[in-house]
Amino acid sequence: MLMIGVGTSGCRIASRIADDFDGSIRNLLCDTDATTGQLDGDFVLLGGNRLSGRGSGGDIVAARMAVEESIAALDPELEGVRIAVIVTSLGGGTGGGATLEILKRLSQRNIPSIVFATTPFAFEGDDRQRKARSVMGMIEDAASTSFFLPLDRLTVASDNMKQAFDQAVSTLAQGITLFWRLLKTPGYIRLDAERLRHVLSRAGRGRFAAVEASGPDRAARALDALLTNESLSSGTTTIRAILCGVLAGDDLRLTEISTLANGIRKAFGETAQFELATVNDEATFSGRISAVVMLFEFSKVDESATKARKIQSVLSPGAKSRGRFQNSESTLWHGENMDEPTYLRKSISLDL
Amino acid sequence: MSYNIYAALELGTTRTVLAVAECETGKKLTVTSLASIPSVGVRKSQITDIEQAKQSIRGVIGEIERKAKKEGGSIDIANAFLVVNGQHVSADQLSSTIAVNNKTVSDEDIENVVANAHQLTPGGGERVGLDIIEQDFCVDQRGGILSPKNIAGHVLKLNVLSISADKNRIEDARTAADAAHLELRDPLFACTCAAEAVLQDHEKKNGVLVLDLGGGSTGYAVYSDGYLVATGAIGVGGDHITNDLAQAFQLSNARAEMLKREHASAVVSSLDEDDRITIDPSTPGMDSRSVPCRAVNIVTNARVKEIIAMIREKLEEQDLINRLHSGIVITGGGAKLKEIDLLLQREIGTTVRIGKPLYIDGLDQEEFPAEFAAIAGALLYAHKNYEERSLFDTLKGIFR
Repeated sequence: MLMIGVGTSGCRIASRIADDFDGSIRNLLCDTDATTGQLDGDFVLLGGNRLSGRGSGGDIVAARMAVEESIAALDPELEGVRIAVIVTSLGGGTGGGATLEILKRLSQRNIPSIVFATTPFAFEGDDRQRKARSVMGMIEDAASTSFFLPLDRLTVASDNMKQAFDQAVSTLAQGITLFWRLLKTPGYIRLDAERLRHVLSRAGRGRFAAVEASGPDRAARALDALLTNESLSSGTTTIRAILCGVLAGDDLRLTEISTLANGIRKAFGETAQFELATVNDEATFSGRISAVVMLFEFSKVDESATKARKIQSVLSPGAKSRGRFQNSESTLWHGENMDEPTYLRKSISLDL
Repeated sequence: MSYNIYAALELGTTRTVLAVAECETGKKLTVTSLASIPSVGVRKSQITDIEQAKQSIRGVIGEIERKAKKEGGSIDIANAFLVVNGQHVSADQLSSTIAVNNKTVSDEDIENVVANAHQLTPGGGERVGLDIIEQDFCVDQRGGILSPKNIAGHVLKLNVLSISADKNRIEDARTAADAAHLELRDPLFACTCAAEAVLQDHEKKNGVLVLDLGGGSTGYAVYSDGYLVATGAIGVGGDHITNDLAQAFQLSNARAEMLKREHASAVVSSLDEDDRITIDPSTPGMDSRSVPCRAVNIVTNARVKEIIAMIREKLEEQDLINRLHSGIVITGGGAKLKEIDLLLQREIGTTVRIGKPLYIDGLDQEEFPAEFAAIAGALLYAHKNYEERSLFDTLKGIFR
């Protein structure tokens, strides 16, 4: 597995995670800003010729073009990689633009990809929010699975912006670190990379949260923290698969695993595919329990099945209608009557 | 000191706009009065009911008159330039060729080839010429020449783009305007008018696409090397988004239009997922309804993506897609759609800006000046071409 930090913030988060593993994690930092090379990890300067190492200045298109120019530099780093985990921060230029190009390269090489992307704080303003929104859909399409984590949800109220940002980054890094540990130091119930690869190959957009608790009722408290976690709020969507990781010291009890597993299944979908993994690491987790939960909606299911479902779920039944254009001269394009609603002609699901 | 005064009328699918601009000699043209009301009798940029269209025209004239009266004056608009849109507008690549008299191209040769070009008529008697755009010169086999004077050769050719419209559509507008006691002057293409109002010279030189997003149609104009290289319109516009929303959520057109203006986004985002939009009842006493925000955006996104695909195909046919080094400039009411700039950026892969009229004053107080780019361009065209002649005799004037 390879972790790729993209953009300045993404590289900082990736670097912090790598620190927790004392160098035992393969960590690649990619940025258009040359100063990011000072962080620990293998560094690839993106678009050096075009941007001269000064960053993309928040321009997503410039970042994409810069990465196109230097994407081949990533190839040696991708040799033998079975799963890539991308950590990035959206709202600027490189995080969004470069991530898309890197995902395209991973897809060409048939490497499943997991993206953890933060989206800006609300107070950072509309422009950064808009930039983030502009690439989220494309990242969803290009990645095997993607987690978008609003920074507002990763921090508690704070007067200090730096403190708020640090706290959010720390929360995210902690969560990804726990996920990584599930794969690197498996316990009695294993989730190996191939199993994960299989799950990810069908996954789409995901939700993600990590919590920690200690004390005699630590499992119940961890469960309670998960069930009330805003990041896991599933709204009206159906969860198709749940990945649950429980990390603790040698004192992890079977009843604790049962409490967490049953509570999570009951809350998020008893019929969903459920994958459980544990880690027993006394040195790291002595006296406490950590839980990581990922919910998948499987938006990338089989095309024919999707199409059948789509046709059934459109609201307007019967023949396609031209509505207000009924008596107007038709606009035809490649044999289609463009006056008929696009969503009907294309059988697009509205999930009403 | 003298004044020139011009008026321009846009009889659009969604709204009818009449604007009056004045210019004191040597000063910047300024819009002094503007009226915009919802259109009736127009669908997909063509008049479907002359009587209703007449009412729309009378409506904007009345609005201008009321505004003048409120300010203590009066105005009587006798004529206006007509802004035309719709898929019946097209552009043909033509050329004018003459023999060079004395082995090198002279000023007289250039005048002759230009004059000859402006005599070219669009194909068939059913078309009416809107404009002849001069592009580049060729001397013998050498093309891409912008200034051919003193270049040696035997044959001088001028490439032009001839923009024309369906004659009957223009006649319908004249009939409706006549009935409203308004004389129509030159018909002008909305998209190229908008382009002239919002583009800077360096953008035209570097390569730029102007998209005029109207209600019934979408106009496009591509500039490269400083001149217009392609233009036209497709018969799909913002009204199609409204129609799609109306059908998807079983709403009246008015409710669907409101849903589009206030809530719809061209981009579907995960952030929309759990949000619902409340729609007030159209009839008092009925319950309000709510629709999923994500579904609204899915419907909108599908239509806008399709419009972009149609435009993209038009550009690819002429290998223009990679020449847009100055990006895309969007104008028209459709440019107000949330996140449309982001979707365009994503689909075409270049920068996008909203086109605010640059060379005319008086539109800053409007909520969304880009909506009036076409009519601003028509007024600029009138000013540029009729600057020497005061229109006081035909436009009876503003008396304050």
